[in-house]
Amino acid sequence: MENKPKPYMNPYLAGFLLGLVLLAAYFITGRGLGASGAAKSVVIETIGRVSPEYAHSHPFYSSFFAEGDGRPMKNWLVYLTLGMLGGAFFSGFMSGRAGFSIDKGPKISNMVRLSFALAGGLLFGLGSQFGRGCTSGAALSGMATLSAAGFVTMMAIFGTGYVIAYFFRKLWIN
Amino acid sequence: MGPLIPMGFVNPDLNLFFAFVIGLGFGYVLEQAGFSTSRKLAGVFYGYDFVVLRVFFTAAITAALGLLLFSYMGWVDYSMLYINPTFLWSAIVGGVIMGFGFILGGFCPGTSIVAAVIGKIDAMVFVLGMMIGIFFFGEFYNTFEPLYNGSDLGGIFVYDSLGMPRDLFMFLLFVIALAAFIITRKIEDKVNGLKPEPGLFHSSYTAPFAFMLGVALLILLLPESPKAKWYQTDAQTLLNEAAEGKQYIDAEEVTYKIINPADMDLLLVDVRSEDDFARFSLPGAINIPLEKITDRNSKNILKDSKRKVVFYSFASTTADQAWLLARRESIENIFVLKDGLNGLFAKVFYEESDTTSRLEMVQFEKRFRDEAKQAFLTGGASVKSSSKPAPVRTLVDVQPPAAGKGGC
Repeated sequence: MENKPKPYMNPYLAGFLLGLVLLAAYFITGRGLGASGAAKSVVIETIGRVSPEYAHSHPFYSSFFAEGDGRPMKNWLVYLTLGMLGGAFFSGFMSGRAGFSIDKGPKISNMVRLSFALAGGLLFGLGSQFGRGCTSGAALSGMATLSAAGFVTMMAIFGTGYVIAYFFRKLWIN
Repeated sequence: MGPLIPMGFVNPDLNLFFAFVIGLGFGYVLEQAGFSTSRKLAGVFYGYDFVVLRVFFTAAITAALGLLLFSYMGWVDYSMLYINPTFLWSAIVGGVIMGFGFILGGFCPGTSIVAAVIGKIDAMVFVLGMMIGIFFFGEFYNTFEPLYNGSDLGGIFVYDSLGMPRDLFMFLLFVIALAAFIITRKIEDKVNGLKPEPGLFHSSYTAPFAFMLGVALLILLLPESPKAKWYQTDAQTLLNEAAEGKQYIDAEEVTYKIINPADMDLLLVDVRSEDDFARFSLPGAINIPLEKITDRNSKNILKDSKRKVVFYSFASTTADQAWLLARRESIENIFVLKDGLNGLFAKVFYEESDTTSRLEMVQFEKRFRDEAKQAFLTGGASVKSSSKPAPVRTLVDVQPPAAGKGGC
């Protein structure tokens, strides 16, 4: 049997620390955080491996071979994400939260949860391209620099969430 | 002194190392906050757990306040920060799609990565879906492109869009956040069937709330920053330099170097408007309109130039202003074309000297002028813009000559 996991951090303290991390990112490197970028690098690197000619002539993919010595994986956001994996695993492991599981609402089966997770991921991947970043890269970092884009994206994400939440309530609540 | 890497204080090769270190902190905090479980994340939409709102809002405000404070103290040059560009409709459409993704999937990209690494299978599937979604965007890029690149408003700030002072906006944002924290606490207690706590908010939050309110008030009430930032040239030095007039470079020198490209060691920067630049410009010149001279991109171009930078305008007024602004930002090695384009063309075309003069000097000058005249009229020294010129041209981009049709 596993030990009981430690409680989560006070949310305001966590938010404050997250704000300091974000501030450090701006102070040191002049840019904010981001998470969807690494997934994009993986996708483009894969396409580049499978079909280099196609990737290099494609209007969207090709621009990512222009930076980082022509290697999409040699990218700031990829290294940030590698760090994230390390930091999160350390935190989860030390707090007794590491281990295979599926989190879901009480009313749905694992299969349903996983199908919707896949669909949600797909939509988030697509949306993050239009939004030029996800909740971290566009909304959070954008808000930290008081950019209009950050506030527009944040309101669009959470506004939509609240509007449609009712219709998908079976996924999460009784 | 920040941002450290863009300002050249830290070796750019360390950029990826810092990315990794910052990532460690990012991942650690997200996991500690409970962002590694979709149940908690989705709670924000159903009222049973507002942890997302608390962490997200607190983080955004901490970082925004921190940046404003750093900027005020002169520790960070705000214009060197990456400001997310606003492509209005693309941002809205993207946000709406992401809102659907959040409700269906229960994660956002950052939280899914954090959850996947500690073994949440639903998060791993979410990450896989994310990659498919990005691939989908790439494959249909041509269809999406007009929306993606349309309604480009540039790197605008939210307080400008709302037409209010920056510091007032920051203060209001803080007040809204505080109100949201208090209200959502009540909602959460009600949804979870807990007995609401007496008082406005949990007593243990008094200290952090008071601290943040203090910082927000400070930002609102601080006077305009009076002194030069450390990265700016101070006023007295600037005044002395301007009075000395060493920043001027003669039309002859510029002309000579234009017609002898081998000796070209100047980067000509046209500080007039884009329209004027499109109509006529000196060969090899790039265009940075006066109002854009202190933009991040422009500063990078000017700083990184290995050649002497020469500003020019019709006369020298605009170029002088550009010079002052750029020097104020401590950009070195910049000059102004004396008397501007008008001066240059007056020298080359109109200043007919006494042809009978026997003074060698004068004859030499005349020969030079004739040569220059020839070059501007027929040689490689005249640029006629095609339809729409690229905003920045390089030296090699000199186009075939068209009769000296100057907008000057």
